[in-house]
Amino acid sequence: MPLSTLSLKYRQATALLIVLGLLLVIVGWLVKLQILNYRELAEQSENNRIRVQPLVAGRGVVYDREGRIIIDNRPSFTVSVVASEAVRDTTIPNLAAVIGLDTSVVQKRLRKNLVNRYQPAPIVRDVPFEIVAVIEEQAGRFPGVSIQMEEVRRYTPGLGSECFTGHVGEVSEEERRREGAVGYRLGSIIGKKGLEKHHDALLRGREGTAYIEVTASGQSRGLYEGKAPTPAVAGADLVLTIDNDLQRECVAALGEYCCGAIVAMDPRSGEILAMTSYPGFDANIFSTVIPESLWQSIMQDTTHPLLNRPISGLYPPASTTKLLTIGAALEEGMISANTTLKPCYGGLQFGNRYFRCWKPAGHGSLNAVGAIEQSCDVYLYQVGLKLGIDLLSQYFDKCGFGHVTGIALPGEEDGLNPNSEYYDKRYGKKKWSRGLVLNNAIGQGEILVTPLQLAQFFCGLVNDGIVYRPRLIKSIQFPGGQQVIPSRQMVRKLPFSSGTLELLLEGLRLVVEGEHGTARGLKNNLYSLGGKTGTAENPHGDNHSWFVGVAPMERPEIVVCAVVENAGHGSEVAAPTVKRIIDVYMNKKMNPQPVAGLSHAEGN
Amino acid sequence: MLNYRDLDWRIISAALFLSMIGILLIMSAQHYADSAYSQSFYLRQSLWLLIALVAFAVVIHLPLRLFDVSAYLFFGITLSLLVLVLLVGSSRMGATRWFSFGPINLAPSDVAKLAVVLALSRFFAYTKLPPASKRRLAFTAILTLIPVMLILKQPDLGTSLVFWIILFALWFWSGLSPVYLILILSPLASLVAASHWLAWALYFAVLLTFLFLSRPGMLFSVLVVVTNLAFGAITPYIWNRMADYQKLRMLTFLDPGRDPRGAGYQIIQSKIAIGSGGVWGKGLLSGSQTRLDFLPERHTDFIFSVLGEEFGLWGSLLVIMLFGVIFYRAIRIATRCRSRFASNVVVGAAAVLLFQFFVNIGMTLGFMPVTGLALPFLSYGGTSLVLTWALIGLIVSADYRWQEY
Repeated sequence: MPLSTLSLKYRQATALLIVLGLLLVIVGWLVKLQILNYRELAEQSENNRIRVQPLVAGRGVVYDREGRIIIDNRPSFTVSVVASEAVRDTTIPNLAAVIGLDTSVVQKRLRKNLVNRYQPAPIVRDVPFEIVAVIEEQAGRFPGVSIQMEEVRRYTPGLGSECFTGHVGEVSEEERRREGAVGYRLGSIIGKKGLEKHHDALLRGREGTAYIEVTASGQSRGLYEGKAPTPAVAGADLVLTIDNDLQRECVAALGEYCCGAIVAMDPRSGEILAMTSYPGFDANIFSTVIPESLWQSIMQDTTHPLLNRPISGLYPPASTTKLLTIGAALEEGMISANTTLKPCYGGLQFGNRYFRCWKPAGHGSLNAVGAIEQSCDVYLYQVGLKLGIDLLSQYFDKCGFGHVTGIALPGEEDGLNPNSEYYDKRYGKKKWSRGLVLNNAIGQGEILVTPLQLAQFFCGLVNDGIVYRPRLIKSIQFPGGQQVIPSRQMVRKLPFSSGTLELLLEGLRLVVEGEHGTARGLKNNLYSLGGKTGTAENPHGDNHSWFVGVAPMERPEIVVCAVVENAGHGSEVAAPTVKRIIDVYMNKKMNPQPVAGLSHAEGN
Repeated sequence: MLNYRDLDWRIISAALFLSMIGILLIMSAQHYADSAYSQSFYLRQSLWLLIALVAFAVVIHLPLRLFDVSAYLFFGITLSLLVLVLLVGSSRMGATRWFSFGPINLAPSDVAKLAVVLALSRFFAYTKLPPASKRRLAFTAILTLIPVMLILKQPDLGTSLVFWIILFALWFWSGLSPVYLILILSPLASLVAASHWLAWALYFAVLLTFLFLSRPGMLFSVLVVVTNLAFGAITPYIWNRMADYQKLRMLTFLDPGRDPRGAGYQIIQSKIAIGSGGVWGKGLLSGSQTRLDFLPERHTDFIFSVLGEEFGLWGSLLVIMLFGVIFYRAIRIATRCRSRFASNVVVGAAAVLLFQFFVNIGMTLGFMPVTGLALPFLSYGGTSLVLTWALIGLIVSADYRWQEY
C-alpha cells in the first residue's frame, strides 16, 4: 500500500464508512436509551415531575358533653425539604439561617423524616407567617424547600384536661414498626398519650394522596392528570362525658394548693364528668417541636407535672376505705349495726405497740355508723383484727382495688392490695406482725390506690353496689354523619348486701350532716351531701388530704374524689375542694342553662 | 441564470426539512417558557431561516471560482474579525464570542469555519507538494493553528476543535494515508493513556509496533515518539492549566453523577428525556422534561433531547436519516467534482457538519463531553443557521458545476 497516493475510490469508500460508522454509533446509543433503558428512564422522568403529596386528614375534634371544644385544630405552616431538588451548600444553610436553627439540626431532621428523595420531608412545623413569606418570596434561595399548610392540634387552655386528652407528636420509628401501625409515614402525627393515643385510629382518619406535577425548580403546575388523587377521610369527632365547667372548677380549686387530683363521676353510668391532675402542663407544646430548655424545666419540676395523678398516682386511701372495712365485717356477721366494741380512749394497745386514734382525746363508745361518721381508728383497729389480713384483702379485691378500672386510657396503674402471701414474699414467712392488719383496716400501711379506683368504688357504694367501668366517650361522630354511642358497662357488683349498703350510706350522710361528722363544715341547705374524709400519712412530708363526696344523697348523681398532696387533714382541705365541684354541678342542675349543640354544628 | 431542475434537490430538501423540524422543536421547547421573548424564539428562527435561504441562494448563484480566488482574502478578513471580537466583543458567561448589533449577536468563529474550509481547500487544490511532505503538513497545520489560537482565547474549546477536523478531513481527502493521520493524532491518545503508567506502557508497545509495520520514514517516526512522550509527560501540567469549567466538563463527562446540578445534571436530564421518549415519543408539546424545565439549554445545545423525548426513536432516526442523506450526497459530489478546489470545499463543509452533528448528539446521549457545539439546522441560533446553509450552498454549487475545472 503506497503511503502517499490513494485512489479516489478508496477515499470515497473510507469516507462513507466513517459516516456510516458514526451514524451507527448514534443509532446504537439511541436504541440503548430509548428501548433498553426505556423503563428505567421513563420512571425517572415521572419521578422528576410528579411529587406525591399527602393529603392530611383532619384530626377529629373533641367536645365536652355540652358540645364545647376541648381539642380542635388550627392551621399552621410546615416547612419541608424535597431532597431531590435540594442544592448542596445552598438549601440547608439558607433554610437553617432563616428559621433560626443550626445547620446540623436541620440536616438531622431531614435525615429522620426522609421517605424518599422526591417527597417533602417536614423540617419545622408551625412556622410563623413572616418566615414563610421570606421563603416564598425568595424561592430561588431555597431550592427544594416547600411549604405545606398543616393543622396543628389545639388544646383549650385552662381545662386541666391533659391527664385524659394526652397529646400528639411526630410518629417515632418504634411506633411505625409496631404491629398494626398502618398508614403512618415519617413525620405523621400520632397520639402519644391519653385518649389521643387510645383513640388514635378513630381520631386520625385516613390520609389521602395527591399527585402534583412540578417544574425543575419545584414550582407546582397543578394536579397530575395521569393518576387520580385518593381523598383523605377525616377523623371521627369525639363527644366526651366531661363537663368543661366542672373541669375549670377542678383546676381553680386545686390551684390553691401545690398538687393533687380530682375525679368526678356519675355513679349511674360510670361517666367521668371531670378529671384533672394538678399541676398539669400545656399539651399544646407537644404539637410542635418542644424547645429543649422547656422540656428540661418540665422534667426537673419537683411537682411532677407529667405524672398523671388520677390514673397513675398511687396513694394510701386512708380513712376513705374505712367503709370497706366496716362493710366487710358487717357482711361477715362479725359486727352488726349496733355493735359497740371497746370504747376509744385515743388509742389501742396491740402486743407491745400502742396504735393511736387520730383524735387523742378519744371517741368513747361508738356503733358502726358512728365509727364512719367520726372516722374512729380504734373501732376500725378492732374490726380489722376480727377480719384478719386475708379476709380484709379479699374484700378490697372484690371492691376493685389492686385492679385497673379499665378506663380507655393508656398508663393506668392497678395499685397495691397486700395479703399474707404478699407479706410472706416481702418480709419472709412468719417474719411480719399480725398488727399490720390494723394499718390496713384504716387504709394505711402498704395499701395503695389511684384516685380513679377510689371514685369508682364510691360510685358502686351509692349505686346499689353496681360498679360501671369509668368512661370518657359519650358519643363518636363519624364524618359521614353516623354516630356511635357506647353503652355503660358493668364491671362488678360490690360484695355488700343492700342492708349493709344502707348502713354505709347512712355513715356517708352523717360525715357531713351528723353532729360529730368529720366534714360537718360542708353541710348546707341547698342539697344533701355525703362523703368520707381521709388523711393519708405520708412518710415523705405532710399528710395527703382525701375527700370523696356524693350528692344528692337521696339519689346520688355525682361522686367527686379529691386528693390534695401534702395538705393536711381531709376535712380541712380536700372536703371544701370537693364541695366546690359539687356546688357547680348542683347549681347547673338546679338552674339549668340552655345547652348549645356541638360547636361545629352551630357553624353549619 | 441557473437551471434549477439540475440542482441537487435531495440535499436541499433534506436541509429544508431539518430546518423546519428545528423550528418546530424550538417552538415546543419554549412553548411553556415564562417570557413572551422566549416563546417567540421559533419566530426569530423562522426569520433567520429566510435570511439563511437568501444566503444559500446567493452562494449557489455566485461562480465557485469567485470563492476560489478570494479564499485567502476572506481568510485574512476573518482573522482580523477574530482579533476584533476579543477587543470589542460582548461577553456572556465568561466568554467573548460575539459582536452585538442590538438584538443580533454575530459569532465570527462561525464565519471562520467557512474561511478555513475555503483557504485550506484552495491550498490543497494547487500545491505541488506530495501529500506526506513535511512542509505541506506543517504549513497547513500553522494555517489552521492561527484561528484556533484566537478562538481558544475567547475561550471556546469546542469550536476550536472543528478547525482541526477540517484540516484532518482535507489531509485525508487530498491523499494523506490514514496511517499518518493516526500517527499524527496519537499524542492525544498518549495524553489519555498517561493517566496510568501501565496503560501508558501498553500504549507505547502498540505505537511502536504500528510504526515498525507502517514504516512512515525515520524522521517522522522519531517525531511521533517524541511528541507522544512529551504529551504523556505534560498531562498533569495541561490539567493544571485548564480552566475550572473545562476540568468540570471533563470530570462530569467521565462521571455524570458526580455533580447532579452542574454539567452532569444536564447530561442526566438529557438522557432521561431521550430515554423516556421511548419508541414513539411523548408527542409534540408533551415532553415533561422539556415542558417542566428539567432540560437545560433545550432550544440550543440540547434540542436533540427535545426531539428524542417528544418524537421518540422514530423521530430521532428520521433526523439522523436526513443528515445521512446530506453526508452521503456530499461524499458522492466530492468524488464526482472535476475541480479539486470544489471537491475539497465539499469535503471540508461536510466535515464541519458531521463533526458538529456527532459531537452534539453524542453529548445529548451522554457519550460525548459537553462542548457547547450546536446541532446544525436544529439548534436555535441565527449565525449558525446562516453558516450551515452557506455550507450547503457550497455543496450544491459544487454539484451543479461538477464539470468545471
